[in-house]
Amino acid sequence: MGDFKTGTLMYCLAAGIIAFVIIQSVFFMVKAWKRGKEIGIEKEKMKQTVISSVLFTIAPAISILATVLALASALGIVLPWIRLSVIGNLAYETVAAESAIGVFGSSLANEIKDPTQFSTIFWTMTIGSCFPLVLLPILCKKIHKATQKITAKSGSANALGDILGAAAFIGIIAAFISRAVAGVPSDGPSAGFMSVSVLLSAMIFTIALDFLCRKKNLTKLEPFVLPIAMFGAMGIAILFTQTLPVSLTEFTWR
Amino acid sequence: MKKERTFIDKMHSWGAVWSVAALMVLYSAPLIFSIHYDAFPELKTLLKALSTVITVYWTTAIIEVITYTPMLGAGGTYLSFLSGNITNLKLPCAMNAMERANVKANSEEGEVISTISIAASSITTTLIIAVGVLAFAPVLPKILAEGSVIKPAFEYVVPALFGALGASYFVKHWKISILPIAVGILVYIFSPSMAVGTMIFVTIVVSVLGALGMYKLKWIK
Repeated sequence: MGDFKTGTLMYCLAAGIIAFVIIQSVFFMVKAWKRGKEIGIEKEKMKQTVISSVLFTIAPAISILATVLALASALGIVLPWIRLSVIGNLAYETVAAESAIGVFGSSLANEIKDPTQFSTIFWTMTIGSCFPLVLLPILCKKIHKATQKITAKSGSANALGDILGAAAFIGIIAAFISRAVAGVPSDGPSAGFMSVSVLLSAMIFTIALDFLCRKKNLTKLEPFVLPIAMFGAMGIAILFTQTLPVSLTEFTWR
Repeated sequence: MKKERTFIDKMHSWGAVWSVAALMVLYSAPLIFSIHYDAFPELKTLLKALSTVITVYWTTAIIEVITYTPMLGAGGTYLSFLSGNITNLKLPCAMNAMERANVKANSEEGEVISTISIAASSITTTLIIAVGVLAFAPVLPKILAEGSVIKPAFEYVVPALFGALGASYFVKHWKISILPIAVGILVYIFSPSMAVGTMIFVTIVVSVLGALGMYKLKWIK
């Protein structure tokens, strides 16, 4: 009974769910693309959006893959794969799996060998994470209508709407930046020399590349500024750990 | 004007249908497993496991739906909530795409660009994970193991992502940015292991209230 976690059935379930996610994405992309053409957005702009989004996604997707592998020792490779392909989130899935396994007095370090335990974890992760899909059909349209009402009023209200939109997003970025400066993340190294160096390198690369784009009028490069800066900063992480003394690269202040 | 509303309305109708379909597909997976192996969980055990998970997940779900929906656009919202990893991937991806394409989040152009961006990101993530699991599962643990040369790059993917994304925003909106970062750092000094999901809520509130105050004081236009 050892292979139920990675048996044919699990692979078929994963294939079905993954096909569903891809079909949904293609469906929405085609609809948006057609609408974009109708309202006069240049094809080039939409193409660049696709390319830069794909490039932007590569590195975070690989770190998601790393979580799949981390959970695989206890749960087999297929369940974490399913869970992180839909709704899943790096931090939440680990917590969900841990609390479900905890009920049996076990932990993620031990392999699950009983199908009933495994099915309990499967159900827990599914029920826990699917709630947004219940909320969306009820709330999404209402929230959008309310936002549109606020932003579509007069010119000054529109300017305020733009400012508040930017402020909300800056709020999200600020949370991750302050964590890199002073926090102790559950899923990564604590704040210290390396986290701040990578953070600052990414910022410097972006500003320099943006400057270059403006100065030399390199509009084609613009969509790739973010992925290049991100990869550059990840390269700095490798370079520093390879060349600087361990006492410095492992120095954390938290 | 009427035509614009029609497209976004249609997005909502499609999104609702896809969400219900997704729920059915996702729940069918543990159901099929349980039937096939005759391994249904005991209700008592399941409820015990769910008690912790539901309190955290469902509250977070409500906050996330309310917070991210206005930023993601209609199509982007339905796509993001199905494929997940919103704060660390989908939202930054869409915001960057809209910023670079020079379109506003609440316009129809923004809706189109955000949807295309998130769809591209979802397909890429799904394929990378699938290819990674099928082809590289035996090798990847070695590549990402302790002491491997590449490991540090992935350990610091989050600061790399948000540093790059933050820079262009901070240059443009530096007055708004100072307050939420300062408050975030201050809170982390006193509570270093606070979950980033909770911190996001704190910094968004601080950032929005700060921006509103500065707008009223005419510090920003």
